[in-house]
Amino acid sequence: MSYKCTGCGAEVTVNTESAMTARCHWCRHVFGVNEQVANGAVPDAVLPFHIKKDDAVARIRQFVDKRRMFALKEFKEQFTPENVVGVYLPYMIVDGKASADVAGQGEILTRTYTQGSGDKKKTYYDADVYEIGRHVDFTVDDLPLESSNERGNLNTGVNTNNIINTILPFDTKNAVKWNASYLSGFSSEKRNQDVEHLRPRLEEQLLSIARCQVEGSVGRFDRGVRWQQERLDVHGTRWVAMYLPVWLYSYQQGGKGGMLHYIAVNGRTGETMGSVPVQQWKLILAALTVGTFLEAIAFVILGSSS
Amino acid sequence: MSDDGGLALLLLGPAGATGLYWYLYRYYRNTDKSHAFERETVVEAKPVTGSDQDRKIDEVKGTRETRISGDNVREFRKRVKRIQSDTS
Repeated sequence: MSYKCTGCGAEVTVNTESAMTARCHWCRHVFGVNEQVANGAVPDAVLPFHIKKDDAVARIRQFVDKRRMFALKEFKEQFTPENVVGVYLPYMIVDGKASADVAGQGEILTRTYTQGSGDKKKTYYDADVYEIGRHVDFTVDDLPLESSNERGNLNTGVNTNNIINTILPFDTKNAVKWNASYLSGFSSEKRNQDVEHLRPRLEEQLLSIARCQVEGSVGRFDRGVRWQQERLDVHGTRWVAMYLPVWLYSYQQGGKGGMLHYIAVNGRTGETMGSVPVQQWKLILAALTVGTFLEAIAFVILGSSS
Repeated sequence: MSDDGGLALLLLGPAGATGLYWYLYRYYRNTDKSHAFERETVVEAKPVTGSDQDRKIDEVKGTRETRISGDNVREFRKRVKRIQSDTS
């Protein structure tokens, strides 16, 4: 990343993966990443922590206390919520103006009737089929997108990043201009995704929002709607790179298929979500016990009725 | 009791066991959770248009299904065929 030296005006490249300060090759002036020129790893804005560590610890403890019975033994033994870390995670906060069109078919129930009698009684339906389309113009305000490749991967089969995704949104309106001093005492992660990387995900979310918006206008199709085509026109977007504050407790599950389990607390609102690893045999035993009990009742009922 | 009812009753055990397993698993692991951006984002929308163009094209007689096949009116995140816009 390039910086303008405040001493002599020369451009200096700093590897921000490893250092937040650098010395100008020309005039030996030392400067920090606040004097950045190009848009890159340093965000435009930061939302400072509001929830204190004690509060976050209490919320994590409360979350786990409700989930002890079937939790993995090692997880419970090693559970130390005091090890929670305050992390600034990189996001892009997006405002956008868009139009969407959706097309498909909807059905309206016209008649319900039954045929046959007793056990053979069956219900039939008649319906009118309509070809329908909807158009909506809308703006979205402060939509947050994970701007690191790793955090943006929300595949619950391989990681628990969906936990961190769930504690969104933040009160991003209260963000302040970036200043490296907010980082002291906290950890942070780097942004490695650009506007162009994130645009497909933005468009997906805008389409989802549009589909949510049009739902209210197809209420008369009481047998539902099958949308078959959709189209999005983005008229304009505004992107702000922002660090958002998250209290993160993590537990690395060992063994085959073991993953990193997070419990995350929103550093502003306190919203808490987590993934507690389960002791599979306990869970299966409980399920089988209840299943056996239900089956026994079924047999009793069958036995008494025949 | 009918054969159908008896069979359904026999499925009570396996169904209950499976249901409880998934309910507890999701309560602990929360694999089904994510940011509900559709509802939690501030969206300002103009009134939805197009309902005046709804056109009856067919009738269904005597179906036993209670919903249209492929109903996705509430599955906002399930993408369907994307028609590319002229501008992009």
